[in-house]
Amino acid sequence: MAEAEKLVFMVTHGPADPELATIPFVMAAAALASDVQVVMGFQADGVELVRNGVADTVTAPEFAPLAKLLADVRELGGLLLVCGPCVKSRGIPADDLVGGAQVVAAGRFIAEITSATNSLVY
Amino acid sequence: MTATATELETLTAAKVVDARGSACPGPLLEAKKSMGTVPLGSVIEIWSTDPVTKTDINAWSNKVGHEFLGAVEGEGYDRVFVRRQK
Repeated sequence: MAEAEKLVFMVTHGPADPELATIPFVMAAAALASDVQVVMGFQADGVELVRNGVADTVTAPEFAPLAKLLADVRELGGLLLVCGPCVKSRGIPADDLVGGAQVVAAGRFIAEITSATNSLVY
Repeated sequence: MTATATELETLTAAKVVDARGSACPGPLLEAKKSMGTVPLGSVIEIWSTDPVTKTDINAWSNKVGHEFLGAVEGEGYDRVFVRRQK
């Protein structure tokens, strides 16, 4: 049996750049719909996107609202990994992240990236 | 294999997915969700006002193993047909 395909999307832009914040979610949702495993990694300002309530405030023109896309990714089984130092430096407590988001360190990101079919950085 | 426009016009889908007004990747996600609700061999029809949906659904069908039958123009939207194959 062939090994499942997996894509890692590294998200480094936050609410200040709605388009670059939204596109990785669009891609992740499309990948999940295509039976591809998805890991989303949030670093730098990207961690703000998985803070409770923040996705509700982000909509890029001609794209679905980020809150809808985030819900789709979670519903379809996307894994949300969040950079530990990035949330710490921003004063974001782990219990203020959306359900299912896991705070991790660099080693976990490397493990996911090196085991993926491909990785994309936004 | 794609069907002719006449064949598509006369085809009765097991389910119609109205994704008009939905932005990318909304129609694709709606197709994915709906496909699991119809029997194998059945056809779903996706309505979309996004002109790239037909090429997107075609690529998706090839990727996941469904049969893309083609698309016809409705009144201000596309009607895209896919047969469930797995």
